[in-house]
Amino acid sequence: MKAVNWIRERGVMIFAILVVIYTLLPIAVIIAFSFNDPAGKFNFTWQGFTTQYWGDAFAISDLNKAMLTSLELAAAATIIATILGTMIALALVRYQFRGRRMANLLIVIPMTSPEVVIGAALLSMFVYFQVSTGFITLLIAHIMFSISFVVVVVRSRLIGFDRRLEEAARDLGADASTTFRTVTLPLIAPGLISAALLAFALSLDDFVISNFNSGTTVTFPLYIFGAAQRGIPVQVNVFATMLFMLTVVAMVVTVLQQRRAEKLASVRPDQEDGTTPGLPASAPATATS
Amino acid sequence: MKPPVRIVVALLGLVASALLAAGCSDLGAGGLDGPTETAEAAPGPGNGELTISNWPSYIDRNTVSDFEAKTGISVDYIEDVNDNNEFFSKLQPTLQNRDPAGRSIFVVTDWMANKMHNLGYLQKFDQKSVAPAMANLVPSLQHPAFDPNREFSLPWQSGMTGLVVNTAKAPDIKSINDIFDPQYKGKITVLSEMRDTVPLIMKADGINPEDATADDWLNAIDKLKEAVDSGQIIGVTGNSYINDMARGDVVAAIGWSGDAIQLQADDPDIQFVMPEQGCILWSDNMVIPVGAPNPAAAYEWMNYVYQPENQAQIANYNYYFSPVKGVKPYLKKINPEAAKSPLIFPTESFTKNCSTQPDPPRLDTAEIEKAFQSLVTGG
Amino acid sequence: MGAWAKSKGTPYFLMGPGLLWLTIFFVLPMLFMLSVSLYQGSLDTTFEMTWHFENFKTAITDFDTQFVRSFIYAGAATLLCLVIAYPLSYAIAFKAGRWRQVMLLCVIAPFFTTYLIRTYAWQTILSNDGTVVNVFQTLGILGDDGTLLKTPTAVIAGLTYNFLPFMVLPIYASLEQMDTRLIEAGRDLYSNARTAFFKITLPISMPGVIAGTLLTFIPAVGDYVNATFLGSPNQAMIGNVIQSQYLVTKDYPIAAAISFIMMALIVLMIAIYIKFAGEESLMGDEAEVVTAK
Repeated sequence: MKAVNWIRERGVMIFAILVVIYTLLPIAVIIAFSFNDPAGKFNFTWQGFTTQYWGDAFAISDLNKAMLTSLELAAAATIIATILGTMIALALVRYQFRGRRMANLLIVIPMTSPEVVIGAALLSMFVYFQVSTGFITLLIAHIMFSISFVVVVVRSRLIGFDRRLEEAARDLGADASTTFRTVTLPLIAPGLISAALLAFALSLDDFVISNFNSGTTVTFPLYIFGAAQRGIPVQVNVFATMLFMLTVVAMVVTVLQQRRAEKLASVRPDQEDGTTPGLPASAPATATS
Repeated sequence: MKPPVRIVVALLGLVASALLAAGCSDLGAGGLDGPTETAEAAPGPGNGELTISNWPSYIDRNTVSDFEAKTGISVDYIEDVNDNNEFFSKLQPTLQNRDPAGRSIFVVTDWMANKMHNLGYLQKFDQKSVAPAMANLVPSLQHPAFDPNREFSLPWQSGMTGLVVNTAKAPDIKSINDIFDPQYKGKITVLSEMRDTVPLIMKADGINPEDATADDWLNAIDKLKEAVDSGQIIGVTGNSYINDMARGDVVAAIGWSGDAIQLQADDPDIQFVMPEQGCILWSDNMVIPVGAPNPAAAYEWMNYVYQPENQAQIANYNYYFSPVKGVKPYLKKINPEAAKSPLIFPTESFTKNCSTQPDPPRLDTAEIEKAFQSLVTGG
Repeated sequence: MGAWAKSKGTPYFLMGPGLLWLTIFFVLPMLFMLSVSLYQGSLDTTFEMTWHFENFKTAITDFDTQFVRSFIYAGAATLLCLVIAYPLSYAIAFKAGRWRQVMLLCVIAPFFTTYLIRTYAWQTILSNDGTVVNVFQTLGILGDDGTLLKTPTAVIAGLTYNFLPFMVLPIYASLEQMDTRLIEAGRDLYSNARTAFFKITLPISMPGVIAGTLLTFIPAVGDYVNATFLGSPNQAMIGNVIQSQYLVTKDYPIAAAISFIMMALIVLMIAIYIKFAGEESLMGDEAEVVTAK
């Protein structure tokens, strides 16, 4: 029996490691091909090692522009969505009010709608009102689909929040805004950062909704889609590799920071074990639990 | 769980009000209100910025910077036209507002230039400003049916739609009919540009595409549909077929002449094969949209690329027909091989069976386009 | 509580801007789409509201194949995700020890690296001259002429890969919350790891499984990127149809009708889910739901 158990338990772990390899495989291909030296314009057969394209990473002006547009868009969308989403999360967790069900639905349904439908619906409306599609319509869309995810992440953070800390602050004479600034905000800050990173990543990665509402504005994913038609330049792999590295760094940093925050907050007696957003994309938050 | 009656009522209310609002006002019909014939683009000093939308792989690395150095105009050259329809759909919401999204030049195929013109989205050229370019336009392209006096369009490049073949893997593909050969099942693609693909199929069936009826178009589409459904034709694509060819997954395609040459860097066996039935001839045209920010710079660009020596540089890169007179001697200097290519300077015997890209019968266009689109999305 | 928090209006003030945004840019567009689905005409000619319910019939009769295909592909991918994700989540939650966060990071990080490039990488991996095809041919899984690219297999594989984290995270979250003493108690009770698993672990992780299924299936059923990059026209999904109707043929009414039918089916699925699990469970409260029962 023990032997069977041993194999079974290792079996699960071996399977898990194989899955991890599988998830990393395309990334390995992307990174490897950022060092490829293609003969023609197509970068999908291995021709030889070169670091040339890392040196010339910013040689394609269309690509740089697309990346800049994406970064601007993601930054703007993140700031606005994080503020709006955090406010909603605060309301949901801290207040009893009529219409909670409706509010919950309004938050859940956009997350569970296919992107193609969201994109198409927004375009229908923009066309109806004869709104020129472009950066602004992209921004509107990106804020819209990020809000729900921000709510989910921040909300899960707030649920585990010990409100006695705030009460203590007020007992010590702090007014509401001082309490919010000095106690509440620092404690939910890791949640806010996770939420903001998530919103940023979602915005940076979005293709489908953007494709409907971009007009002639080109974001990084839209550039890739266009370039994929005629051979993706090696620089795209370089950019993707950099993005991957940044993601890993960002995730590691959040993990460490949250650990620190949890240590600081460990004064609370009934500490819950981290956050558990049930949603995939709330990855940074989950990774910290 | 409380009965969500209130939610349902609220939603119904919203639906009803939106429907009412929609019923009262019609969606803006396409095209601009008011006169569609628009004022000629006024000439002005050539400076400032110029934004151009063109197809990818259509220009060499130096032309843009040479032009900038010579004129002081700073150019934003964007390769964002991958498909006439797709480009147009993305742009239409802004074009309707007389806003061409900052662009002063688009490059679109004949029929799309015509369509944009009919919807009132294009400016007429100021003929005086564009005269130097017009003077160098080859005679065969001076009077196309859709724009007999070149009032709003000027060719960027012309080209042929025919067969792009991996001659090592499919040596015996010579005719359009050969793409239906079962031995190449699953290794054939055709273009999603309807006016390229369907006329070639009609030619293969002995129909002259220039006077084909709606039924001829629909029959050809049916024939393609069968081949797509059976898996004989594995893709109905825009530009992206060249990926599959370079990878070796596709051995023959209905494709564009310049692509074959550009693919040879990846696979020297890839050749443009003139189909026995002839090819389809088309031009991609520079047009100036209504509301273009800097038409003067647009004219400078047109005049610049219509200088034979500048044009030679472009032709040497993309291997399409050059619409400019007197390019050959200059091309000979930089690339004697290219100057001999029938793809850049077609001889009459080479293109003798070719037809100009036709439009489907006007009244049935929508139905034919819809039938064709069902090839792309299967069914 | 501070004075600002006591006011009855505060929650509405806090939620107002965000919910307004969602209403104007999500709910309203959906309603517009519904209204457009009853129009006739196209953007190039004229567009008129004619209460043309026929559009819905056309949408179904013309595109039934793609509807069915989308549900089959998305269903297959969801099932595969479940089969892959459950043991993975289980291993991460209970077996990985101090490697837990590293493994989680390895599983999640790739999914923040541009969806399109990952799918494009699969094109390279699955191409006819690629390693996978060669290995499969040697093993006899594929015939000598067998290919993977532009087959249903490739599209389903792509969907599975791209939506895997949507399955892993909810399942992991529900497992990770579990009190391991429960399992120990179960082992004592049933003296059999397998029985303990089926009687205790699986039921407790069920909300995660259901949430994961929903969250994988929905984006998968509407996806068109995988079918575009890895499939041929014979693998086109309903997302491809919506995309091409909107952005190529510009038959907005039919496209709107198709989108609406899809949306209706999905809302139905969510409604059924909520009926069993409550709407807050979709926001990450599996644990609370479990303890409440």
